[in-house]
Amino acid sequence: MFNFKNDTDKSGSAVNKPSRGSSEIAKRGSVSIGGKTMIGSTVVIDGNITSAEDLIIEGKVSGTITATGHEVTVGQAGQLNANISAKIVRIEGKVEGDISGGEKVIISKTGNVLGNIDAPRVTLEDGAKFKGSIEMDPDEQPSIKAVPSGKPDLFPANAAADKSNAS
Amino acid sequence: MFRAQAEKIAASSAAGQDYALCSMLHSNLAAAMFDSLQPDKRLVVLDVGMAMAASVDYFSQFKSKLLFVDLYSEAFVAEINDEVSHQQLVEQFRQALAIDDGCIIDVCLFWDFFNYLDGTLIKAFIEALQPYVGAHTRGFGLGALNSRCKLPNSCYGLMSEDKLTQCPRSDEQRPVYPHSQRDLNSHLDYFEINKSRLMSDGRVEYLITRCNDSVRAKKPIF
Repeated sequence: MFNFKNDTDKSGSAVNKPSRGSSEIAKRGSVSIGGKTMIGSTVVIDGNITSAEDLIIEGKVSGTITATGHEVTVGQAGQLNANISAKIVRIEGKVEGDISGGEKVIISKTGNVLGNIDAPRVTLEDGAKFKGSIEMDPDEQPSIKAVPSGKPDLFPANAAADKSNAS
Repeated sequence: MFRAQAEKIAASSAAGQDYALCSMLHSNLAAAMFDSLQPDKRLVVLDVGMAMAASVDYFSQFKSKLLFVDLYSEAFVAEINDEVSHQQLVEQFRQALAIDDGCIIDVCLFWDFFNYLDGTLIKAFIEALQPYVGAHTRGFGLGALNSRCKLPNSCYGLMSEDKLTQCPRSDEQRPVYPHSQRDLNSHLDYFEINKSRLMSDGRVEYLITRCNDSVRAKKPIF
């Protein structure tokens, strides 16, 4: 799904660091299997991600992540300095940024979030670290709110293609 | 036996929080925080402590906005600096609170925070909070009335209207400033201790409400 740029540039783009891990995922940077895309732990992205499928993020992301109608999971190795908007957001790693969940947001026991959360339902597991605000409305109809963005989409063409494929 | 338990707690503290060591407290006054609230209105809750799963779970049944600020971990609270002026302290508290302009808090969960502040810090904190406090705002606190009453190094959550959860904090306990109810009432300025109840372990729980101007004017000045 993603076409990562292999070269680092200071203007802000995806960076696919050389693999040091032994797993296939780490070697490839990212994989897409069965409607889920995994961004591996060696991947660094600076920019905006728009996805029409579920995302699992184990790498580092700065910018915004939008996955309307889909699930975003920040794995234990994931480190985000980014706003996230998705149907379901699950945080197992570290996130600094605002999170909007159309259906629910879950911060797992290993999760560490600094930011504001807006979702109909929010679950904080025992041991999770959170500082910021949580806005909940159990009666609210599921919806996705736009994430404010100051950076251009990294993969607008791919995202559009994915959306058309999905519909 | 006691030593073994103490070592277990110390080990868990060093490694991070151990939620198996959490205990439940009964509260006689927590329910009164919600007496004057309208059920259809969004509830705004300030929790000055750590975000606890129990509190998020409890408030998830309401349309609510929860503000978790963990003031306990702020450096300026942990290390009292006598050279900092009152206005500087107020500004430090405002920045740590980071509450949006115009936001009015319905419920303040102070827990045992006042016990870790001397009178100067309490006054600065109360002044910093004032723009976000309305006539209906209510607070809940836990206190040690004197130095004989041991204050556990804990964080707290609200499980239900009459049950609290208490879990050990992973950081080191800081100096405790026990305040008598009379002294604390004076420091609270526009707030007053509306009700207090002695808890089974010797601590006391407080229901805190806004006081009217005549009561405020009669408060002694320290």
